[in-house]
Amino acid sequence: MWRTTLLSILMVLGGWASARWLTYDFQVWTDEGARRLEVALRPVKAPAVTVQGPEESAHDLSTLLATGSGVTVVDFFYTHCQSVCLSLGSSFQQLQAALQADRAKGSAVPVRLLSISFDGARDDPATLATYARGLHADPTLWNFVRVPDAAQQALLLQRLGIVVVPDGRGDYEHNAALLVFDAQGRMVRIFDLAEQQLALDYARSLAGKLQ
Amino acid sequence: MTSPAWCTSTRQAMAGLLLTAVLASPWPRQWLEASMWRHMLLQFPLWMLAGALLCAVLPTRARSITSTWNSHGIAGLIWVGMVLSVLMVPRVLDLALRDMVVEAVKCTALLLAGTLLRLSWRPAGLVVQCFFLGMLLPMMVVVGQLYIDSPLRLCNAYLLDDQERLGRWLIALAALLASAWLAHAAWLLVRRDEGAQLGKL
Repeated sequence: MWRTTLLSILMVLGGWASARWLTYDFQVWTDEGARRLEVALRPVKAPAVTVQGPEESAHDLSTLLATGSGVTVVDFFYTHCQSVCLSLGSSFQQLQAALQADRAKGSAVPVRLLSISFDGARDDPATLATYARGLHADPTLWNFVRVPDAAQQALLLQRLGIVVVPDGRGDYEHNAALLVFDAQGRMVRIFDLAEQQLALDYARSLAGKLQ
Repeated sequence: MTSPAWCTSTRQAMAGLLLTAVLASPWPRQWLEASMWRHMLLQFPLWMLAGALLCAVLPTRARSITSTWNSHGIAGLIWVGMVLSVLMVPRVLDLALRDMVVEAVKCTALLLAGTLLRLSWRPAGLVVQCFFLGMLLPMMVVVGQLYIDSPLRLCNAYLLDDQERLGRWLIALAALLASAWLAHAAWLLVRRDEGAQLGKL
């Protein structure tokens, strides 16, 4: 009987230890939660991929993120999206309005917005341009790009932990969030869509420290 | 319960081997893991079934060694309970899709759980069985309810309606297992009673 008791205790301890490892000390239960925690602890460098905006010229993503040596709030979207991207679009519009207000007050900080399409095959430069106009995006604050090369796009999504699932009706579900990048092109924090104000304040304070 | 004559240990083990091979091969794995409910409610039990089938050819010596470490089936059932509880954490499902080590550990743990469940179930007796199911089934109901109620996707790789379906089926499965076990326990108790009365006569 003592053998069974000993083994049982060991198994319970093993189960507890693996649950603890899995949930980062019982802090997170989902992979998305774990990803956000990991990024906050260890920033993730954006891989070297070529992106292309409405103006059709291609540049390197890290160059784009380093432009103006500021902070960039990034979201992933696709133009055919009818659900979550619409709310992403409107939260980006509100962020843009807040940044424009900062600028008008003369207290502008180098924070910019970047929307990256994960539907590089359909979202060509012309589509992106139409989409940006529809959202009244101010090109000095808010850029739209796609990753023309499919392999590079897959690498970018994988590195940043973006999971895109086709829903079988021609649309995609994806873990939409606000990703904050620093001037070195490192993803330093991930915010939920509902935490838009928090994301803005964080980006502002990060940009303020740079000045 | 005795197995029918055609269901020899060797045949069971062959079936177990075949099932293991099928579950481990890429195409069935992909199909099973493409949906959240198939991942948890089909793939998990199938791996356990493979383990239970393979258990049929466990040598007598190994069985007797195991039983000294597993009196009343307690250690075995704790393994099963621990494995199933840890594997119900939503993060595991996502992690198993992108990390081959987690996937391998998951499948091995389930295979072993199937073997240990078969080795432990009868020695456990009604009291230990009741205790085991009393822990496991309510947990399945709670997890199922969480999956139904969550307005957010808990797994990045799966859709929201898939998650709701899994939640409902987890609860249904828990109810089914509970009723099956209660019926089985009632039948056993009645038979035991009858046996005792016959003995007195």
